[in-house]
Amino acid sequence: MGLSSVTTVSEGIQFCIFDLRRGQHEGEELDKILFFFPADLPFSTQLSVIGLSEGLITFTRIFSPEAACEVIEAERHSHVFYQAEPDIWMVMIVEKNKDAEAIWRIDALQRVLKEVHSLFLMFHGSVRALLEKEPGGGLTRNHLYSFIMDYLSDFLVGKKLHLPSFRDCLKESGTVQMLTVGREAAIEVQSLVKALESCAGNTACNSLVLFQDLLVSTTLSPDDTVKLFTYAVLRLTPRALSSGLSSWSYLHKGNTASHVTSGSILPNSGSGSEQFNVSSDTSPGRQDQRYHVPRPLQRDKWSKKKDGFLVTDIWGAEVGSLISATPTVWLQHTEERMYLCVYQQKNLTIILLIPVSFMVNGEQGISLVKQQVLENVSILSLLCCILVHIFC
Amino acid sequence: MKLVQCSSEERFKFEFVFQQSTQPFTEIRKPVVKSRNWKLIEKDDTIMFGKPSSAQPNVGLSGSGAMSHVYIQHPPLRCSIDGSRGLFYDDGNKLLLSLTSSQVFTWKTVPHVPLLAPNSDSIDEGPVLSIRYSLDAKIIGIQRSNHEIQFRNRETGETFIQWFKPESESILGFFWTDCPTCDIVFVKTSGLDLFSYESELKSLRLVETKRLNVSWYVYTHESRMVLLASGMQCKTLTGFQLSSGGVIRLPKFEMAMAKSEANEKPVLAAEDVHILTVYGRIYCLQVDRVAMLLHSYRFYRDAVVQQGSLPIYSSKIGVSVVDNVLLVHQVDAKVVILYDIFADSRAPISAPLPLLLRGLPRANASYSQSSSKDMDNMETNEMNDLEGTLYGDDWTFLISDLICDTAKGFLWRIHLDLEASLVDFYFVWFLKMSIKLSSFGLQAIAASSSDVPSVLEFIQRRKLEPYKAKQLCLTITRAVILERRPVYMVARAIDVLVTSYTHSVKTGSSIHGRAVEKTSTSGKHVDSSRAVADDTMSRVETHGKSVKNESSGGVESETRQARSEIVDNESFNPTTYSTMNRSSTCLASEENVNLESLKTNSGVFPGEPLSGDLRCLGAKEDSKKQMGAEISRAEGEPSSLQSQMPGPISEQQESRVASPAISPDEMYSFVFALVDEEMTGDPAYLVAIIVEYFRSAASERIKVHPNMYVLTVQLLSRSERYAELGLFIVNKILEPSKEVALQLLESGRQNVQTRKLGLDMLRQLSLHHDYVVLLVQDGYYLEALRYARKNKVNSVRPSLFLEAAFASNDTQHLAAVLRFFSDFIPDFKSTPDHSTYLRILNEMNSPIAA
Repeated sequence: MGLSSVTTVSEGIQFCIFDLRRGQHEGEELDKILFFFPADLPFSTQLSVIGLSEGLITFTRIFSPEAACEVIEAERHSHVFYQAEPDIWMVMIVEKNKDAEAIWRIDALQRVLKEVHSLFLMFHGSVRALLEKEPGGGLTRNHLYSFIMDYLSDFLVGKKLHLPSFRDCLKESGTVQMLTVGREAAIEVQSLVKALESCAGNTACNSLVLFQDLLVSTTLSPDDTVKLFTYAVLRLTPRALSSGLSSWSYLHKGNTASHVTSGSILPNSGSGSEQFNVSSDTSPGRQDQRYHVPRPLQRDKWSKKKDGFLVTDIWGAEVGSLISATPTVWLQHTEERMYLCVYQQKNLTIILLIPVSFMVNGEQGISLVKQQVLENVSILSLLCCILVHIFC
Repeated sequence: MKLVQCSSEERFKFEFVFQQSTQPFTEIRKPVVKSRNWKLIEKDDTIMFGKPSSAQPNVGLSGSGAMSHVYIQHPPLRCSIDGSRGLFYDDGNKLLLSLTSSQVFTWKTVPHVPLLAPNSDSIDEGPVLSIRYSLDAKIIGIQRSNHEIQFRNRETGETFIQWFKPESESILGFFWTDCPTCDIVFVKTSGLDLFSYESELKSLRLVETKRLNVSWYVYTHESRMVLLASGMQCKTLTGFQLSSGGVIRLPKFEMAMAKSEANEKPVLAAEDVHILTVYGRIYCLQVDRVAMLLHSYRFYRDAVVQQGSLPIYSSKIGVSVVDNVLLVHQVDAKVVILYDIFADSRAPISAPLPLLLRGLPRANASYSQSSSKDMDNMETNEMNDLEGTLYGDDWTFLISDLICDTAKGFLWRIHLDLEASLVDFYFVWFLKMSIKLSSFGLQAIAASSSDVPSVLEFIQRRKLEPYKAKQLCLTITRAVILERRPVYMVARAIDVLVTSYTHSVKTGSSIHGRAVEKTSTSGKHVDSSRAVADDTMSRVETHGKSVKNESSGGVESETRQARSEIVDNESFNPTTYSTMNRSSTCLASEENVNLESLKTNSGVFPGEPLSGDLRCLGAKEDSKKQMGAEISRAEGEPSSLQSQMPGPISEQQESRVASPAISPDEMYSFVFALVDEEMTGDPAYLVAIIVEYFRSAASERIKVHPNMYVLTVQLLSRSERYAELGLFIVNKILEPSKEVALQLLESGRQNVQTRKLGLDMLRQLSLHHDYVVLLVQDGYYLEALRYARKNKVNSVRPSLFLEAAFASNDTQHLAAVLRFFSDFIPDFKSTPDHSTYLRILNEMNSPIAA
């Protein structure tokens, strides 16, 4: 049983991404659809939803050419628009329930859209770039589908998709929670950070240090910090690792009972694409084999190894070896692709980002860096103690 | 002994073969480095280690152009007297004595003045077994036989003889002491007799007797310790310390002696036992001839603890201590090995290298002979001979850094070449690591870079040349940063410097010495001697003469000597202190050494380490004052001798440096500021180093120079790492100050967040004026007015606000600002500002009205 089949009945949610530049000609309309949820809706319905949105966007542009349309409140539905990239729109249509809060919820929903996009950007780069890489759109659709479905799985409660409510938008989503430390601890942290960043030799590394779900230190730009922090809280922190539950703290904090393991609900990527690719004119089977689509948001895929490093097979394995490939992320600020190296000790999570371009020998270089990191373990434990002391 | 010269290609393969005369085919192979291929070149203040362009061939064992870590400086103190019957060394007074049949000639060995004329005293004829001056230098004690000791008052010439009746016991020797209960101690085969000297009665009064069988004894005044040997093998030793604090009996202990093959039991001889004082701790070194080991023992108040053994490569061993570095002379091999026994490691800090004779005019003999005819031919020959006498049979090693050539009547002082031994230090480390490398592989690579901190530690412990030591430390620190060595290693190096600094602050030896209140106290003997020790400047004041320059050796070393004693007193745990001579002891008492810190430093081992003179406080004040007078008088002479050679100013500064410790100010100006100038590329590395410095300083609770924070802001904003900069500010890693705030504002031109941080900091620091001015500059003149009103800032010119309001082209705002000043500043209406802007306001309003 897939997510798509459950959620159509739960809450009237429709979520689509389309490209205004595509499908301009008669009969090619399907081409503009990059993502549609639920995927099992007939194409005609999908097209009418997208057509309506497109119409609204074009229409409102007449009155406000500078600022694009954000929300349309209809009688029974709210339409939330977000122009993620030029001409690439994300639209969420949510059925209104009786609560008066429904209108106020828009902010939270907008944030979801932004977050999905920024995370996607971090892992896969921009949608436009993907489309340019493969104009057919299959690659993009595969990426978007698996990514967003994985993302949405966090909102599953039972068989229902619970998107953030009004209250949630007042809370902490999209921000970074810092752990306040004293001067000496801060110096220790910085000292450690410098030591870690020097592990890769002269390469300019970046790092993010978290204590539990709180940020202790970052050397990334604010934007990238938010993204990576969000991802870390979602998938990497000890809490995210141990419980296997969604760490959407504002959604499910302390609410484990209502959770089902995601594995049974989520279709595997193959069947997912199949369902989705019905819309596409290319053969879904072959397409799927052609692209390996990493699913960074897939749950329960990160595990802690004995040496303290977190590993995952999401990015597949290197050709001819059993070692999992090291994940990479795209930094907006420096416009660089970075290896993601995660180390965890007790409550302390350290994310080390090493520029791909500097690592000439790839995985081998990474394992060298890891060794270097391990040599600093004693400082790490010390730091851990200090932070625990501060925290408690 | 063969010394194998290596070619430059195989400079890492070393071989050093000793062939010992007694064991013809026993070769002791030791990894030994020929460091003379390596030279420390100081260029542009940056240390570079490299080979000199052409590896010069070794000129003998002590080629004068060669580098060596230990050297003796020519000319020596000449103490040959016609008709001399023998030389004696009185370590209590640091006097070298030469006897003729009716006279005794004395030379002060401190300071080292080569051409010093001896003092003489006449004595009665007769056999002399030993001779020692009393510590106040008034009485000469002469041991005439095993049963009699003669005393002679130097002023009156009166003599008397102390006899010992029983035939069963004989006198082994005697020494004067500053113990409060007695003045002189006789060591007899039956034990110790402690006497006090009654000058009026011309007799000795027996104070105390310690009964035990004694075969031989060893005493050094420096440690105030006498070791008495007993037993068949003479290896059972009992120690007494007769310091100004009283008499302490140490537990009896056995020396380790390996058995020889024939199962004969070797007998320990007095010359195999050496008492030394290093870093204020008392050690005993014992030569085990069978095992070819040098065992070391450390003395504590209630225990004697064996510390480990050092290998020896010669049947004859000489032991010296220079600036707390232990020198073991391997006499047969004619080399010397250095150890720093502060650290637990028994590894030498240098490879065995020959002793160098410096200052010999032999190197340029070829032309000097022709040019300077006045040079005595005999003299030249003698000098050429000198090299051959190095480690000759006539050499006697005197406590603690003197060598006496008894045949020639020369007294040499041993010097340490800090830079040369550093090169060695580096090298030995490297060698050790390269050996490890082969056996342990990768591991050693990380370990090998730990050399720099150890080097710095070593230099920081050197007190004889604090200025040089400090410069070396600064240079090395700069070099390791510029070379971008691994951060953790630089961090450890910085730790060493910071710890050393806090230590020196705690113990009170500040960087600039204690150059105060000299002239005012110069009337007092003790203080004038102290003034000399403190600071050569004082001599300029007291004697009206300048300091001599480096090459002439004499006063310099005297000053150093005296200073080092005081420095030692202050910077090493004075509880264990026993090397102080009398004058410095007095200083300790007068300068109120922090007794708190004394206590805290002791007691790591079973007992409190044995201490020397510190407990003398006020014990024998009178005699000391006299002694102080003597010393200050004596010290006056050499300085007048050297007065015609005024030293450069820098040297005076140089001599002001009392400790190699590096203050935070110097850390900034001589390390970070300079490094920042020279360093190119990504500043991230330097930031990392600075963070390590902050960490180190924070852990030692010392304040760093405020400019360090400014520098950090500059570096971070230079690389556009504003996020980190924010973290640094928010977490107060960079402590708020006006300078930092202004730098933030400056750097914030490219980044609004950073500028905001700067503004916030100004506000937090209550720098209202600057805050208001900046708000106005940014165009927030209304906020600025509100803030100014609230915080009563009256110092900002109204015209600034008015200009800003005018620039915004908003008549209402301008009117408001004008009104504000009219209301709150009493006589604003009469100022030209008011009329000017009122007119402007009217002009601005008029078009609208029209």
